Amino acid sequence: MTSTAENKRATFIPEPEGPDFGGIVRSEFIKLTSLRSSIGLLLSIVVFGLGVSAALALTMADAGLPAQPSVSFMLDQITLGTVLFGQLIAAVLGVLMITGEYASGTMQPTLIATPSRLPVLRAKAVVIFVATTASALVATFGSWAATYPLFAALDLEIGLAAPGVVLSLVGASVYVGLSAILGLGIGTLLRNVAASVATVISVMLLLPIVLSVLPASQTVRNIQLLSMSKAGDAMSNPPESQGVFVDLVNGYISSGAGWVIAVVWAVVFLVIGAFRLRRGDA
Amino acid sequence: MITAHALTKRYGSKVAVDAVDFTVEPGRVTGFLGPNGAGKSTTMRMMVGLDRPTSGTVKVNGRRYQEHRAPIREVGVLLDAKAAHRGRTAYKHLLSIAATHHIGSGRVREVLDLVGLDSVAGQRVGGFSLGMGQRLGIAAALLGDPATIILDEPVNGLDPEGVRWVRTLMRGLAAEGRTVLLSSHLMSEMALTADHLIVIGRGRILADGPLDDVVAASTQTGSLEDAYLALTSGEVEYRSSSTTGTGAHR
Repeated sequence: MTSTAENKRATFIPEPEGPDFGGIVRSEFIKLTSLRSSIGLLLSIVVFGLGVSAALALTMADAGLPAQPSVSFMLDQITLGTVLFGQLIAAVLGVLMITGEYASGTMQPTLIATPSRLPVLRAKAVVIFVATTASALVATFGSWAATYPLFAALDLEIGLAAPGVVLSLVGASVYVGLSAILGLGIGTLLRNVAASVATVISVMLLLPIVLSVLPASQTVRNIQLLSMSKAGDAMSNPPESQGVFVDLVNGYISSGAGWVIAVVWAVVFLVIGAFRLRRGDA
Repeated sequence: MITAHALTKRYGSKVAVDAVDFTVEPGRVTGFLGPNGAGKSTTMRMMVGLDRPTSGTVKVNGRRYQEHRAPIREVGVLLDAKAAHRGRTAYKHLLSIAATHHIGSGRVREVLDLVGLDSVAGQRVGGFSLGMGQRLGIAAALLGDPATIILDEPVNGLDPEGVRWVRTLMRGLAAEGRTVLLSSHLMSEMALTADHLIVIGRGRILADGPLDDVVAASTQTGSLEDAYLALTSGEVEYRSSSTTGTGAHR
């Protein structure tokens, strides 16, 4: 074979575009939605959210009712399922979003298409946050709508216009999305499905339990209020008017503090994961 | 064109690639040969930025892979035929790669057709044979119509028809003026496909030259297999006792 001095292309593709953030986000969206398992997990956030609130609302008459319509009573009933199950499902989805790529070998074509690496993680974070938060919004607002007649039948109905209701429903849903980002960060750091799932459950759910039984003063035990899942509880409750942000001595964190704490947990692990992804071999 | 300068990769105290220099020229098929563990795959992974060199550089058309604005339009890579999620369809797998570079679904259909997977485009990859996986990997490599193509063991698992198809495809791509780097352990196939050879053993270049020259310099028999076994005789980490000198009967 004779060799030519320059590289020629046999065919011509107009607009030689490289990987930009929009393209990478679209790629990640295609990857997420083209797997039955991830669609199933997203749907299960809605199913568990609606299912648990329906079960609680149908049985609330036996569980003890407040004397008059109570925002916090209603919110407890309709956000519990989404927060409790949604945080775990979303965290596992976040873990799978990246460890699934390492396990299947897909990480190789992914990083070949985007060799700068970090935009891949950013795009994954955007896609998984939006997908899980959207599922949780369907679950929380759906739960409010579905159980409204049951509350109304007991004269305990509360509209969306009541102070703090929308913010709490959004807070519960965003918490689910942040749980997914926490899972993504831990998955990026550990690269292994089983290790990452075990770690994310330990960090989210077991850490506060361990802290709460520390043989120390109540104030030390109240450090558990700074954990991820306690932040989720705070985010799904209306902001209280007393103006206190965090009070570890009396064991109180406000809704706003919950937002800050959950964002910090999610972002810290995402940044640690980003360092692992960027440095060294893929 | 691919150029490596003093390219080195160490894992702890083990040297996988030891200060190698070579150039892969356009317009011909370059065969990349070496025993298992010789550093072939590590070298190929460093070419596309998956592994970071400990020292030295490897560049494609004058730039490190990650410095190209549209990398998959510059370089097409197949490193592992199983690098696709079992639960995803062939079409969606390619579409997810294409989306990063704004390559449309038309081009995805085109490469699926080119590699003969158009009829199974909607099937999940988990049901694919190794040969179909290779075809999918080659389709991914060709998505961006790249001027440089790097394929690690692409004929592994292919049937005779598929082996001939890869050979014809590689020769055709090289004839169009593209740079083609191909690794394989199948010496008879390599003898039919490659114009030029780079042989690596224990992380060092053992031979780099036109196929005929490399063969002539290492054996009297004219067989690439004999030449390869002679070249790598001292460089193999794992060998069964019966392999040594088998080339004599050919």
